[in-house]
Amino acid sequence: MRLTPGPGRDIDLDSVDLFDLDLYTSGDPHPIWDVMRVKAPLHHQVLPDGREFWSVTRYEDVCRVLGDHREFTSERGTVVTHLGQDDVAAGKLLTSTDPPRHTEVRRPIGAKLTARAVKSWEDRIRRSIVRFLEPALDGDTFDLAERALLLPAIVTGPLLGIPEKDWEELVQLTAMVTAPSDPHFQHGSEAATLAISHHELVTYVTEWVRRRRAAGGEDDSLLDHLMSVRAGDAPLTDEEIALDGYSILLGANVTTPHTVSGTVHALIERPEQFEKAQADLSLVPNLVEEGLRWTSAACNFMRYAVDDVQIGGGTIPAGGAVVAWIGSANRDESQFPDPHTFDITRSGAKRQVAFGFGPHFCIGAPLARMTLRIFFEELLQRFGPIELAGEPQHLRSYFIAGMTHLPIVAQKRQTP
Amino acid sequence: MESSQAAPSSAPVSLVQEIAELWGEHLNGREVGADDDFFALGGNSLTGIKIIDRVSQDYGVRLSVRDFYLAQTPARVAELIEQGRAAA
Repeated sequence: MRLTPGPGRDIDLDSVDLFDLDLYTSGDPHPIWDVMRVKAPLHHQVLPDGREFWSVTRYEDVCRVLGDHREFTSERGTVVTHLGQDDVAAGKLLTSTDPPRHTEVRRPIGAKLTARAVKSWEDRIRRSIVRFLEPALDGDTFDLAERALLLPAIVTGPLLGIPEKDWEELVQLTAMVTAPSDPHFQHGSEAATLAISHHELVTYVTEWVRRRRAAGGEDDSLLDHLMSVRAGDAPLTDEEIALDGYSILLGANVTTPHTVSGTVHALIERPEQFEKAQADLSLVPNLVEEGLRWTSAACNFMRYAVDDVQIGGGTIPAGGAVVAWIGSANRDESQFPDPHTFDITRSGAKRQVAFGFGPHFCIGAPLARMTLRIFFEELLQRFGPIELAGEPQHLRSYFIAGMTHLPIVAQKRQTP
Repeated sequence: MESSQAAPSSAPVSLVQEIAELWGEHLNGREVGADDDFFALGGNSLTGIKIIDRVSQDYGVRLSVRDFYLAQTPARVAELIEQGRAAA
């Protein structure tokens, strides 16, 4: 989807189709969300097959839906591609589990992913990023969006305990989960693509665990950690390990690349912002926050109303599905003045909710923040002006806002 | 549903029937026809993992994950098993 909205246009909210994949591949959702926040902060849509969902688009409402599990449960599924099918992994997969069990499992897993814990990986990640960036400076066209898909594997593969030979396949599989209708990733129908990718990822972790157990000992990796954590006085079940391992792989792979590409694209379009950051690297942490806000790679998450609930000036009936549009919340004028202006010095950029909000706040956020900070520190120090070398292409997904192609040409920075 | 209306399967009717019953077991005991669609029946990857494991145990054929989901009906999955046996 376009991150810089095009010219305003007339929008008829009764006929808006938020599940229209073309809207995200080649269209422009921001002007629609702008109107929804003002005129229909609680929006209702019925799909041609009879499934229906409500949407919230305002910052406050998005935070409430994501943050309050008593009103909005995660246990019937949280990803819009599964709208209307109860989640088969409810109560077992951490993202599809409500507190108190959620808290019990999340705490010990999260202990290994705090800002302090991930700090020890900084040097290693920096070396990986420098290696990743080098080929972009050899003068040829470099497809950043395509290459960046592998970046999380390069960065987190070793931390997760995943051998390099498996990265490419895993990246392909996680991309299939997020964009089962994108021709880059599709295998047969959308349903078949989703089932193949879920199946192979869960099986991958199951096999990994089996080999690890057979080998014995510990290797200090994150997957190994999953096998040893105790939640509520018992280890995780094998099914929980497989599903949470899958979830961690997914979370690591499918969002950060798009924040990288989308933020670099924003800087290419605004050379003055690029120069400003180059002149003062202390701006990088805020540039990262603004990039997260701007790209909002996880475009939305879904919950189900537990009882009838009043929100956004309307009522969601008990059992209704509600989609919290993070991409819209991050452009809510009440929180972010001139929301469609990309500004690396924006005050309050850190209020962005790209990592979600509440109990399910992204468990990998500290690692993602550090990775993005290092990425832009290295990019800004090594690269002169960057230019587009072709049309960017957008991912065919209403769940992940991202790019499939961003061809760029860059020169080495002339050191002053 | 009338299985005779669909394209003829090269697999024996009895095998197709067994696979349909196996699917039924993993899909809340519902009635499954030879040409019913796995996903329309509510099948998903967790069901698929169990079915592929059972096929491997009962028939000695390890189905490819991709082939299984792209086949999508008991009749076509039975054909995959036949092919797997022939290749063995």
